[in-house]
Amino acid sequence: MIELKNIVKTFIGKGNDIHAVRGVDLTIEDGEIFGIIGYSGAGKSTLVRLINQLETQTSGEIYIEGEEISHLSPSALRKKRMKIGMIFQHFNLLWSRTVAGNIELPLEIAGVDKEHRKARVQELIQLVGLVGRENAYPSELSGGQKQRVGIARALANNPSILLCDEATSALDPETTDSILELLNDINQKLGITIVMITHQLEVVQKICHRIAVMSEGEVVETGSVQEVFENPKHAVTKRFIQSIDGTNIEELKKDLKKAYPYGQIFRLTFSSNNSDKPILAEVMRKIDLPISIVDSNIHHTRTGPIGSMYVHVSAGSSSEYDRLVELLKEYKVKVEVI
Amino acid sequence: MNAFLAAINVEQMSEALWETLYMSMFSLVLAVVIGLILGITLYLTDKGGLLTNKYASAIIGSGVNIFRAMPYIILMIIMIPITKALTGSMLGAKAAVPSLIVAAAPFYARLTVIALSEVDKGTVEASKAMGASTYQIITKVLLPESLPALVSGVAVTGINLVSYTAMAGAIGAGGLGQLAYLYGFVRQNNAVLYTATILIMIIVFAIQGLGDYLVKKIDKR
Repeated sequence: MIELKNIVKTFIGKGNDIHAVRGVDLTIEDGEIFGIIGYSGAGKSTLVRLINQLETQTSGEIYIEGEEISHLSPSALRKKRMKIGMIFQHFNLLWSRTVAGNIELPLEIAGVDKEHRKARVQELIQLVGLVGRENAYPSELSGGQKQRVGIARALANNPSILLCDEATSALDPETTDSILELLNDINQKLGITIVMITHQLEVVQKICHRIAVMSEGEVVETGSVQEVFENPKHAVTKRFIQSIDGTNIEELKKDLKKAYPYGQIFRLTFSSNNSDKPILAEVMRKIDLPISIVDSNIHHTRTGPIGSMYVHVSAGSSSEYDRLVELLKEYKVKVEVI
Repeated sequence: MNAFLAAINVEQMSEALWETLYMSMFSLVLAVVIGLILGITLYLTDKGGLLTNKYASAIIGSGVNIFRAMPYIILMIIMIPITKALTGSMLGAKAAVPSLIVAAAPFYARLTVIALSEVDKGTVEASKAMGASTYQIITKVLLPESLPALVSGVAVTGINLVSYTAMAGAIGAGGLGQLAYLYGFVRQNNAVLYTATILIMIIVFAIQGLGDYLVKKIDKR
């Protein structure tokens, strides 16, 4: 378990101090994938670097598995770091070493003997799917491959925690997906706690169990992905959620009303409470109305689909509309009349 | 052409060639070793470095800068008393070595600092995150990652040293420089002058070529 208690980090500058982290309290449970999202400059990178003390906090305490880490001796800190893996946005591999050499580095640092190192490197190469590329140099690899090397390297000494600092921000969407799949796999197979820093909401959506939203050095909202997405409370969170819909919701509503001046438009919001049944089809069997889907934005998280759909009913009486809304509510769909 | 070649004493030329090579290569090795140590120390003790130390950084830094600012021809003259004390004389190839090292080591130290500073900061951060000690970061990350720049720095320093030896030759250090000056220029023997000069240029090209070749082989980027 990772516990951050009242963390403050201020960078003293000439003239102006930067308050990167202003009093953050956070608990990350063992084995969960915890996302921290926020816009650039929110303090996320600084926060994650406090977990392995690449940055030291100005005040506050950090406990990893019950041990406070900011007052450890240099050698005790190094030992602790061997059990915390980290991957980076720009991979940070050694140009001068091959794939195998890069993965071997943490093992050398930990003093593992040659035979065991070679065996472990082979295991890791298999785990991340880079068989055949052991002797390639980073300059010969694609971004996705480099990040796989980064992941293999981070897992070399069997860490219990993996820190991911914008790990997919430099990758294209497909590659991002495959890396996220790999991370999810690792979390499920090995039970490693993963802390993901990102400004990409899609990332957090796909694999995180819980998330924290950061803005200007503070955590403004925490909760499960479902909770935060369905009921964003803070303005920053709402801005984020809106951004994944791709468009401004108010604009969208205006456009739809213009396109369909007759009949009625409804916004249906789906959440994890919905069953697997094809809701719309069943509702349409129970009520005879001309319903068509005019816009939709559904995302699939680990616990189910979240998102909204806009349907247009081209004709009907107000009692029929009410009946429609009732039926939808039976399926636990949130309905908003536009 | 025969008259040209006849004006050259081959034995004298080869001895001078050997003296130049000895002076420059021997000094190069020592200058590189000393410069490397100074450079690594400067890099580590710098502001924000792994072993930040204001005083060490200021003292070594100033020392390096002062010697770098001095033109070699003046440095070698100023060092005559020290040279005499160290080697027993102010003449000959051996006598040139101390001043050559004092000139070249700070130069290579500066090149070392540049080479180390160009190692990706993210890579150093990643190695810290792995639990590497400062010693491990230097030996397993900083030096291997900066090797192409360090090797190319050796070539540059070597070439500088060859030109310094030619200057040293003017005050009696021997070598091709002395030959070119005393026999070629003062005694107006053009054949000797041109041959000695060409030989020096060949040495320089050889060093550059070897340096380029090695850098190409070790640079994996």
